[in-house]
Amino acid sequence: MTTAAISIRSLTHRYGPTTALDGLTLHIPEGEIFGLLGHNGAGKTTTVSILTTLLKATSGTASVAGHDVREASHQVRRSIGYLPENVSFYDDLTTMENLTFFARLSGLRRPEARIGEVLEFVGFTGHDRERVGTFSKGMRQRVGLAQALIHQPAVLFLDEPTSGLDPEGVKALRELILRVNADWGTTIFMNTHLLSEVTKTCTSIGILRSGRLVHHGTLADTVGAFPTDDALERAYFAAGTTTS
Amino acid sequence: MSTILTAARHELLASVRAKAPYALVAAFLGMVAASTFIGWRTSVTVTSIYDQVLADGLTTQPNPFTDVSPLYYVRNTVIYVLLIGSLMAATLGVQSALRDRKAETAALIGTRPVDGRALRAGRLLGLGLLLAALVGITQIITWISVSALVGGPLSASETLAIAGFGVITWLLLIGFAGIGVLSGRLLRRERTALLAPVVAWAVIAFVIPQLGTAARPVSLLNPVPLPAQDSGAFSWLSQVLSPLAITEHFKTASAALLESSSTGSPLASALIVALFACLALAAAVLIRADRTTGGTHE
Repeated sequence: MTTAAISIRSLTHRYGPTTALDGLTLHIPEGEIFGLLGHNGAGKTTTVSILTTLLKATSGTASVAGHDVREASHQVRRSIGYLPENVSFYDDLTTMENLTFFARLSGLRRPEARIGEVLEFVGFTGHDRERVGTFSKGMRQRVGLAQALIHQPAVLFLDEPTSGLDPEGVKALRELILRVNADWGTTIFMNTHLLSEVTKTCTSIGILRSGRLVHHGTLADTVGAFPTDDALERAYFAAGTTTS
Repeated sequence: MSTILTAARHELLASVRAKAPYALVAAFLGMVAASTFIGWRTSVTVTSIYDQVLADGLTTQPNPFTDVSPLYYVRNTVIYVLLIGSLMAATLGVQSALRDRKAETAALIGTRPVDGRALRAGRLLGLGLLLAALVGITQIITWISVSALVGGPLSASETLAIAGFGVITWLLLIGFAGIGVLSGRLLRRERTALLAPVVAWAVIAFVIPQLGTAARPVSLLNPVPLPAQDSGAFSWLSQVLSPLAITEHFKTASAALLESSSTGSPLASALIVALFACLALAAAVLIRADRTTGGTHE
């Protein structure tokens, strides 16, 4: 029996009168690359914010790596890496200085060797003494991924990871995500509205519509239901109207 | 403990790299260096006038500068600490509090397993070390320049007095830095966050002392503290507001250390300045802004 890396039960979140998440229930086994699809405002970022302990849900429960996000937020934080949509760093500091700061906050006492290892993994060696303020979006994204991986998290959260990247950057990041999962067995939870990314990266998907999960299944099952070239697109638009 | 040290190291590094407060730091160091020269020029000017007056037979009194302590030349520094140093410290505090918001790193920090209070305490420690380094530089500049003016190294007691003045200066500055940190954390806009400590400074340095002494504002720019009024409403106000006149207490403690004329109790004044620093630091560590999220550290 596979253990759930992420377990969500009846999760609801309201911003004033607006319901951003409406009774979300979801279980993601360890080792999955899960893609959460949805239109802008569907509740994807709210879900990630709750799972990464940045936001407290109005009701419902969620656990990550076996720890409750509300009751054991410190343990959850030890178990996760997070790459926000627009990752930012201290522009006046170098790659090494930024990563050292975040590594130490993650509990690594002597992080220099690990930083070198992770920078090599994300293909960003040779830039460790350069100031982050001089980097392009793609370069920042690599530093961001290095930051998220530095403490070897069990679960990695990626919020629109390819947003704003050029095609080469998208391809490179996709390959990195697949390698993180294959080499380290890290469970990956990825928010995106790009169907093509999900097809090329994820093993299972969920579709959110106005805060409600209208579809959850493996990529193969989802695409199998629509055996055409644009299968996922068809599944996406059909979700919530014909299937759940 | 490691969170505190990590945050302190980061604060030092980021503050040094951020160029925004450099102008204030340069002005502070420059004016402290100049104040010894100004004190010395005052002494030379008065002595030359005295010599002329004496030669003309217009006085038989001794030269007021004959037996003056070398520390007299430092007394103008008190005003530069109040005017420039306090604002510099508050600005550094605001910049420290706004750093994560401006760099948009709050979400990354919010997902790290650290205690928010330890993080805030570490940043204040870094800020305190930075201010200690700046105050230390001013004390070294002071010691060297006064030694040069009097033609020999200062005595041990005079050196200790300068060091004591450095400590009381640091306490005042870290207090204002704490106010700056609080302002940066609690106020949404940078401009408002920078303005609020300036208003607090103006109230502490001018409004409160004026209410207790009925002094003209320009008198408050004197390094020597003003005596409180002993009659009428001002007397009552001075008793009520005296503990809040932090800058006047700083002047009292400094004047005692620098062998200037002083009113009040220097020890009590030094303790009030220390209490001001402790309260500002405690508030800056314990009060957290919780405007947007429930789980973030800021």
